[in-house]
Amino acid sequence: LEQGAGGKAMRDLVSEVLTAGLPDDSLDIGREAMDDGAVVPIGDRNVVFTTDSHVVHPPFFPGGDIGRLAVSGTVNDLAVMGATDVRALSSAVVVEAGYAESDLERIADSMARTCREADAAIVTGDTKVMGHGDLDGIVVNTTGVGVADHVVGDDGLSPDDVLVSTGEVGRHGVALLAEREGIDFGTTVESDVRPINGVVDRALSVAGADITAMKDPTRMGLAGAASEMATKGGVGIELRQDRIPVPSDVKGASEMLGLNPLQIANEGIALLGVRPTAAADVLAALRSHPDGQDAAAIGKAIDDEHGRVLLDTGLGTRYLREPATEPAPRIC
Amino acid sequence: MKRAHVQVDGVVQSVGFRPFVYRTAVDLGLRGCVRNLGDAGVSVTLEGPGDRIDAFLRELETNPPPLATVERVTVDTEPVTEYSYESFSIVDSEDRGAGGGTVPPDTAVCEACLADIRDPSSRFHDYWATACVDCGPRFTVIEELPYDRETTSMAAFPLCSDCADAYASPSDRRYHAQAIACPSCGPQLAFQPHDRSVDPPAVGERTGIDPLPQRSSLVEGDGQSLDAAARTLDEGGIVAVKGIGGAHLACDATRPDAVSTLRDRTGRPAKPFAVMVPSMDDVATVASASSTEREWLRSARRPIVVLDQRGDALASNLAPGLHTVGVMLPYSGVHHLLFDRVDDPIVVTSANRPGLPMQSSNRAIVEQLWDVADGSLLHTRRIVQRCDDSVVRAVGGSRTLLRRSRGHAPLPVAAPTADDADVLAVGPERDVTAAVLSGDECYLTQHVGTVTDRETFRFLQAAIDHLLALTGTERPSVTAHDAHPSFRTTEYAADRTADRTVAVQHHHAHAASVLMEHDCPRAVCITADGVGYGPDGTVWGGEVLDATLTDADRVAGLAPVPMPGGDRATEFPVRSLVGLLYDREGVDIQALVDALDWSPPNADEPRVIEQQLEADVNTPVTTSAGRFLDAVAALADICHERTYEGEPAMRLEAAATDGTPRDVTVPYTTADGRPVVDTPRVAELLVELRRDGTHATDVAATAQRILADGLADLAVDAAAERGIDAVGFTGGVAYNDAISRRIRQRVRDAGLAYLDNDAVPPGDGGVAYGQAGVAAATVRDGGVDS
Ligand SMILES: [Fe+3]
Ligand SMILES: [Mg+2]
Ligand SMILES: [Zn+2]
Ligand SMILES: [Zn+2]
Repeated sequence: LEQGAGGKAMRDLVSEVLTAGLPDDSLDIGREAMDDGAVVPIGDRNVVFTTDSHVVHPPFFPGGDIGRLAVSGTVNDLAVMGATDVRALSSAVVVEAGYAESDLERIADSMARTCREADAAIVTGDTKVMGHGDLDGIVVNTTGVGVADHVVGDDGLSPDDVLVSTGEVGRHGVALLAEREGIDFGTTVESDVRPINGVVDRALSVAGADITAMKDPTRMGLAGAASEMATKGGVGIELRQDRIPVPSDVKGASEMLGLNPLQIANEGIALLGVRPTAAADVLAALRSHPDGQDAAAIGKAIDDEHGRVLLDTGLGTRYLREPATEPAPRIC
Repeated sequence: MKRAHVQVDGVVQSVGFRPFVYRTAVDLGLRGCVRNLGDAGVSVTLEGPGDRIDAFLRELETNPPPLATVERVTVDTEPVTEYSYESFSIVDSEDRGAGGGTVPPDTAVCEACLADIRDPSSRFHDYWATACVDCGPRFTVIEELPYDRETTSMAAFPLCSDCADAYASPSDRRYHAQAIACPSCGPQLAFQPHDRSVDPPAVGERTGIDPLPQRSSLVEGDGQSLDAAARTLDEGGIVAVKGIGGAHLACDATRPDAVSTLRDRTGRPAKPFAVMVPSMDDVATVASASSTEREWLRSARRPIVVLDQRGDALASNLAPGLHTVGVMLPYSGVHHLLFDRVDDPIVVTSANRPGLPMQSSNRAIVEQLWDVADGSLLHTRRIVQRCDDSVVRAVGGSRTLLRRSRGHAPLPVAAPTADDADVLAVGPERDVTAAVLSGDECYLTQHVGTVTDRETFRFLQAAIDHLLALTGTERPSVTAHDAHPSFRTTEYAADRTADRTVAVQHHHAHAASVLMEHDCPRAVCITADGVGYGPDGTVWGGEVLDATLTDADRVAGLAPVPMPGGDRATEFPVRSLVGLLYDREGVDIQALVDALDWSPPNADEPRVIEQQLEADVNTPVTTSAGRFLDAVAALADICHERTYEGEPAMRLEAAATDGTPRDVTVPYTTADGRPVVDTPRVAELLVELRRDGTHATDVAATAQRILADGLADLAVDAAAERGIDAVGFTGGVAYNDAISRRIRQRVRDAGLAYLDNDAVPPGDGGVAYGQAGVAAATVRDGGVDS
C-alpha cells in the first residue's frame, strides 16, 4: 500500500524490482534516469513513449473523472519530457462485470474531449470485462507516443536555475480527498486535471534548451517532485513560500486537515527548471496560455544542500520533507 | 624532610590552578615545581617538612580555585635529606596535548573583579570586560586548542604593559589569565541607535575584532554607550545587549507597554520572558527563592532560575498564564554597569528572529534586529561560539536543567565507558544539544535549538565541529542519531563518515540518560514527553519502558489515540481532546467543542476534525503524554493555541497550582497486550467533572494527578513483576513539579529507588547524552545496528 503513494517508497520499488533484468540500453534515457517516459530515437527524431494505468476513487470527482485523468496523465508524462507534440494514444479499459454503461459512456466522452484539448487522438483501444469482485470498478490504461524537438529530463537542474510552476498547487489531491472521504470544507475544491502539453509547449518554444528540467508534480506533490529534481540534478532547491500559488480553498482545506499543500497531488501543472536569463520570457509565454495564467517563479536551484528542498517562509528557511507515504503527517 | 610527587586530575588547566599551587607552596615555604600534563592533569613536586606538605594537600582539598574540579589526587612521598630545588616555580609546559576537559566554561565576573570594577583607584574601574583566572569568558572565545591568548578572540587585543606584567606574574590573580583586558588595551563598548526608518548601517568585515557599524550616529566610549542604552531602556525602548555568548533583547520589565512592544516586534505573543534583576536583594521583590535557589542564582554559572512569581512589581504580560518567572543575576561587567544606570529589572530574551539562532556578531545583531530593537549595545570582542543562557528549575525540590548551556558547556558529564570507540550523538530535532562520548566522559555542546531550519542546523554543525576539536575527538568512529528516518539530524548522521551509525529510539535515549546519570544497569523508566518516533511508526510519548542501555521494552504506558491533523494537533489542543473523545459513546463532541471558549481559525474546522477522524486522513496514532495534557488544557479552557513550545502544558500546570485534585480511580485498559492508562476514559471523566461545574483549576489538578498516578503505578507494577528495584522518570513532562513530586512519592512508597535527571535536562536537550550511551553500549556488546 505504501508503495502506491508515489513518494520515496515507490521509487525504491520501481528501481529495485520492476527494472531488474531488463536489458540495459543507454539510449533509453527515460528508464535509466527513472523519468516519466522512455526516449526511442527513430531516425533523427526523438520519439517519447510512455504508459500508465489509472485507478481512482471515486471515478467521478469535482473537476474531472478517470477518463480525463487517464488521457491527461499520459499526455503530461510526454509533455514534461519535451514531447508536447502527441502523435498517438492507445486506451485499454478493464471494467468489472455490471459496470454502469452510462458511466462508461461518460468516461469515453471525457477521454475524447480531453484528447481534443491535447490536440491528440486515441488511435487504438481495447475493452475487457472481468468478473464481479475481480477488480474494483474500472481500470484505464493509456499509452502515448509523442515527438520531442528537444528532450528534457528531470535531472538537468544547475545552480541558479529558476523553478517555475505553470499553475496553482494542490487542487487535485484536495478535490479527491474531499469527494472520497466525504469531508466538507464548506467549499468545493475542483481538481486541476488537464493536459498541459499546450502550456508547456509555449515555454519550450520561447526557451528551448534554456529549459533544463521538467517534472509533473503528481502524486508526491510539489515537494516530492522538487526533491526528486534536486536529488537527480545534484543541487539543492530553495522555494519561496510567498511565491507559490496556492488557491485559498486549497489552503483552507489542507490547513484544516493539517496537510501541507506542497505535499498534495496535482494533475494539471508542471514544474520547470529554467536558466535565469530565460525566466522572464518563459513566464510571459506561460501566462499567454489560458492554462498558464497563474504561472510563477517559485524558487531556484542552489549549489548547496544537495538533494534537499528548503522553504523560505519569511520567518527563516526550513527543510521541506518529501513525504514517505501519502498523505504524510510529519510525526514528531 | 620529604619530597612529594602529586598528580591532580580533573578540570585543572586554564582555571588558575598552577598560580594557586604556586601561591600556596610559596606561602608554606615549600620548594619544587608545578607543570601541566599533556592529558589535562597537573603535576606538582614539593620539597619541605612533612607537616607543611600535609598542609598543602589540605589546602588543595578544601580551597581549590573556583573554576577547578579536582577529581583525583595521587600522592607519592619519599624521605629526602637535601633539596634538589632552589625555590618553587611554574614550569612552562611544552607538551600541551589536545586532551579533553581542558576548556572551562564561561563564568560570571568574580567578586574580586567586581570589586576592581567598583574601585575608583583601580585601573579596571568601570571596565566592562574585567576578568581574571577565576572568571570571565572561556568557551565562547576559544578558537582552537591549546587554550592560549593567541587562540582566542582576545588575540585581537595586544596586552598593554600593565596587563602584560600581570599576565606574567605568578603571584597575580591574572597570571596567565587568557581573557585579561583593561580599558587601555581591551575591547570597547559602543551603542548604535536604530533608526528604523532607514536601512541598517554597514558593518566592516570580520577581522580580529568584531567590527562596529559605520554610521555617524554610533555612540563610542564605554560610559556614553551605557548611558545611551540606559536612556533607551528608561524610555520604554528595546535594546539588543551583546554580552558573553550572544545578545539579549532587553526592555524595562516593569513596563507592560515595553513588554508588549517587544512581543509585537519579535512575534512572541505569550512566550515567558526571563528577567535580570540588579542584585540578590532585588530577587525577593519579584519571586520567592529558597536558599538552594539563591545558591543557583549566585553561582558562577549564573543560570536563569525558574521561580514562583511574587508581588506585582513585574509587568503583568511578562509570563502570561504562568505562575513562574525566570530570574537571573548580572553575570558580565556590562550588566553590572548597566544596572548602575537602570533601577528596574530588565527583560532578557534571546536576540533572534523566529527561525534563526541567537545573534552574536555586531553585524547580525544590527542587521537582523534593526526593526526589532531601538538600539544595540555592542562590543568589539568576537564571540567565537554563541552560547545561550542555561535554565534551571527546582522540580520536586531537586535541581532540574531546562537548558544546559552557558556555564556548563563544554564540561563533560560522567558516562559509562565506551571502550576505545568515540561516539558522536547528533541529538533529536527539537531543543537539540549534541554530545561526544569519549572514554568515560560525555561532552555536550551548548544548547542549539530546533534544527528544522537551515540556520539553526548550521549552528548545530558548527557546534559539533567545535566540540570535536576541543575534545580532541576529530573522528568519532560511531555516530548515534534518533530513529526518526527523516530528521535532518538523521540524514546528517548518515552523511558523516563514521565506521557505523546507530539509530536510537527517542524514548530509549531519554531512559538511557537517567540510567547513565545513576550508573544504573536496568530500571523501569517512565518517559513522558510530546513526541518521539516509535519503531511501530506511531508517535510515542507516554511510555513505561523496561530499559537497559542496549534495550528498551515498551511494557506499559498511555492508550494509543488518534491525533487528528498530525502536527496541527500540537498547535490547537482541541484536536487532541477530540482525538481522545472520538470513540466515546456518551460525548457529543460538536456540542462540547461549541461550548468551549475557542474561536477556530476556520469556521468549518470543528466539523472537519471529526470527519477527518471518520475518514482516517492524517490522523497518526499517539501515546503522547504532552498531547493528553494539551487536551485537558483545551477542555478546561486554559489554552487553545500553542504559540511556543510546551505552552498548553505549562499553562495547565500553572492553573493546577491553584486547584485541588479530585479523588478519581485511574482507569486502565490494554493495548497490544500491555497495560495502559485509559486516557479516553480519563477524558470522559474530566468532561463529566467539567459538566458538574468543577472549576478549571481542579480539573487541571485532577488530570495531572491521574497521569502521575497512572504512570507511576504501571511502572511500579512492571518493576515488581520483573524484580527491578528502580524506577526512573524523564522526558519533557518531568519539568512538571506536581507530576514529578507525585510520581517520586508513589515510587518511593513502593520501596523502590527513584531516578531522575540532574546533570542533563530530562527534555530533549538530554537526548544526545542518552543516544551516546546507547550507541556505546550497543557497540561494546557487539549488537547489530538498529
Ligand atoms: Fe522527547
Ligand atoms: Mg531533578
Ligand atoms: Zn575575576
Ligand atoms: Zn591592559
